Amino acid sequence: MASSGGKDSSSPIDSNGRVGREHSNPEAISALYEDLFENDNSERPCYLPDSGQEDYSGDGDGVGDGDEDGNSPREIVQKGRGDSVVEEKGELNAANGASPEASATQMNNDSRESGSDVGTLPEDLDARSSTGNEDEIQEKDHEFNFRDRVRAESSSTERLVHLDGEMSSDRGLDGPPSPTSSQGGTSGYMAGSGSSSASTSSVSGVEIGTDQDTEGIGSRKEERGVWVPGKRHSQEDDSHPSWRRHKKHFFILSNAGKPIYSRYGDEHKLAGFSATLQAIMSFVENSGDTIHLVRAGDHQIIFLVRGPLYLVCISSTDEPFQVLKGQLELLHGQLLLILTKAVEKCFLKNSKFDMRPLLGGTDVVFSSLIHAFSWDPATFLSAYSCLPLPYVTRQAACGALQDMTDSGVLFALLMCGTKVISLVGPRKASLHPHDLLLLSNFILSSDSFRTSESFSPVCLPRYNATAFMYAYVQYLNKDTCLILLTGDPNDFFHLKECRAQIEIALRESDVLREVNNSISRGGLRIEDLPDSEDLVPPEGVSSREDRSSGDGASTSAFNSVPGAGGAAGLWHFIYRSTYLDQFVASEFSPPLNTRSAQKRLYRAFQKLHASMHDTEASGPHKMQYRRDENHVLLSWRNSDFELYAAFDPLAEKSSAIFVCNRICQWIRDVECEIFLLGATPFNW
Amino acid sequence: MSARKRTLLKVIILGDSGVGKTSLMNQYVNKKFSNQYKATIGADFLTKEVQVEDRLVTMQIWDTAGQERFQSLGVAFYRGADCCVLVYDVNVMKSFDNLENWREEFLIQASPSDQDNFPFVVLGNKVDVDGGNSRVVSEKKAKAWCSSKGNIPYFETSAKEDFNVDSAFQCIAKNALKNESDEEIYLPDTIDVAGVRPPKSSVCEC
Repeated sequence: MASSGGKDSSSPIDSNGRVGREHSNPEAISALYEDLFENDNSERPCYLPDSGQEDYSGDGDGVGDGDEDGNSPREIVQKGRGDSVVEEKGELNAANGASPEASATQMNNDSRESGSDVGTLPEDLDARSSTGNEDEIQEKDHEFNFRDRVRAESSSTERLVHLDGEMSSDRGLDGPPSPTSSQGGTSGYMAGSGSSSASTSSVSGVEIGTDQDTEGIGSRKEERGVWVPGKRHSQEDDSHPSWRRHKKHFFILSNAGKPIYSRYGDEHKLAGFSATLQAIMSFVENSGDTIHLVRAGDHQIIFLVRGPLYLVCISSTDEPFQVLKGQLELLHGQLLLILTKAVEKCFLKNSKFDMRPLLGGTDVVFSSLIHAFSWDPATFLSAYSCLPLPYVTRQAACGALQDMTDSGVLFALLMCGTKVISLVGPRKASLHPHDLLLLSNFILSSDSFRTSESFSPVCLPRYNATAFMYAYVQYLNKDTCLILLTGDPNDFFHLKECRAQIEIALRESDVLREVNNSISRGGLRIEDLPDSEDLVPPEGVSSREDRSSGDGASTSAFNSVPGAGGAAGLWHFIYRSTYLDQFVASEFSPPLNTRSAQKRLYRAFQKLHASMHDTEASGPHKMQYRRDENHVLLSWRNSDFELYAAFDPLAEKSSAIFVCNRICQWIRDVECEIFLLGATPFNW
Repeated sequence: MSARKRTLLKVIILGDSGVGKTSLMNQYVNKKFSNQYKATIGADFLTKEVQVEDRLVTMQIWDTAGQERFQSLGVAFYRGADCCVLVYDVNVMKSFDNLENWREEFLIQASPSDQDNFPFVVLGNKVDVDGGNSRVVSEKKAKAWCSSKGNIPYFETSAKEDFNVDSAFQCIAKNALKNESDEEIYLPDTIDVAGVRPPKSSVCEC
């Protein structure tokens, strides 16, 4: 690990300081993009009145979403093109030298090109996730771009529109749509038939819905702030306008079209809708192909086939395709955690198989996972986070657990909420971060674990998706939960003894008290980012900035401005350690006070992460710098870590990069407290 | 999730084009009838909740297109069906003759586990037309065919007059439920700790 970042006074800062120049007039550029997208908008079928999206915020997803849609087109991306160059930056912390100069030049060249040559702009604009980019093809197999359809004409697919109408509103299209040309006859046919199926489904919905309308209105209103797991709007179906306005739907169905799970609404009442989904998916499947994505106006419909199970997400949240697909995979993983892959055999034996009874009472598990998609970075980082603890305390906790793994315990896990206190397992075996996420979600979302000593079959899909293991679960206090995993279904009493011993050891070593201390202390705060004497702002940065920023936008001072976050306008950061598969996120502090601001940032990080890892379009990237009207975002990825940082929108790039170096240094200084290190089972 | 167990039945309606499949379904679900003929494209889906004895049943009705060109939808549509409704027009001999084909096609495509006992129901529709004077398939003939195929229940219906539609669908639900296979206890394997662990990539994909 590079560790001498503190000494690195030159760092990439100055190299990038000048890069800001070309973007120092963001209005001009964003105006250009706006034009670009406005044109696009005019061609886009409007399925949903814009206001309709905003006025419905009954769930977590609704919060602050309304204003998000406008962001992406205006994002200006500064990509670290030329991997070699930026890679050098990653190493800068370790080795000073001439490299900054080299990268500085290169970066400037890049940016100059992008700044001056309008023709190259679309490359710099990261529109992958926005619906604006026409030429974008995310999945080779099938992407049905509805906007394309609008332009060409084909009366046979007209009814396809009804599918959209069904999801959003019944507004028609201006022109008859046509299938994407790239797929030739196949997709056209598919469109004609698959879509047709949808139309009467909506008709049916309307009719059926009439007797249910009153119930739908009466469905409980949920309080803002405290999120309670469980199904929302359970009486709705696809005929309710409110159902259609939910920003993010998740469905699980069988390949016979029988509904298994729906995030909103009653699965049985949505039988017609899930038949529609099945018809679309099966039809493509029949031709030996797989459907991945349909774009319909602001909506993305993402499909995932997992054996006999179909998973579908319908979202207008503007999250990148890869992110939503990852969420479907986690949803499938959650289902496996509850039932294992053995369910697939049930479908083989009997295609009529109705899975719903097997999932009885698990609505809370799914709804809380879906909630986590909007709040827990673990869901897209593929990493877990630890409760910050003094090194000796965590060692003591690991020691207490370690003693038990010799006696038949497969994994021993001490958790505080979603955060890991310690985790011990056999050598050479590891707990995948996703398994950890799904397991903790399963346990946290079910109240019954909280109140009693439990022994429950669980399956860790990444460890072994075909079989159950057994989880002994006991809360040691209000927040701290001990989980012992075993392969022996008769192990309960043995594990009970183990727990007693562990509990004694933990109390003797004061672990539980330290845990409580840590909870009240909270995590890393950006205000606490240490001022490092070693890290002085490079000479000349400000003068260069002055020169470059003709519009006077770069007014933020290097040091903390009251109310504007931490140093250099730092608002928030997430640091993910590559080797540990762990991440740490700073606590939300002002000005990120509101849930909508926090969620907006979360989505921005999600998008940034996706584009950093995008292997298909123009990525993966080593470094990105973006500015929009909400934040300056900076991400930096090398072989050791990934860093995502958000700054005040007026933050200077040079200072931002400088602060990022300080963050990395800080993390290194405290890593033995915020991460689970060393004597862990993670023998990669 | 309701405490009471609810059952979902997938019901497929098959038959020549123009015999009144969509009309029957519309009459049953929406209590509506239109004289205008509108060909179904692909398939339409309707849901209807019914009470069968003490059970609450959701019928997921797949109204398929009669035209041959849509038959390629086959497997995907028929998979996992709980009941199949064969419809013909009592005034059109050809539509009756084709019942055999529809039945066979369904059994091939859906390949239900118990072919002989898969629940079918046959509906002779449009008995109202011309006061029955234009009728060419007699009830006797239809019933004979049904009994030769393992006593398929037979109903004479009129979607237009709402004659026998409810009772036909009630029978469909009942038969589908009867055929419901006994649920086995769900018992997945337990992990073999001592044995070989599944190969696993040690580094997560990023």
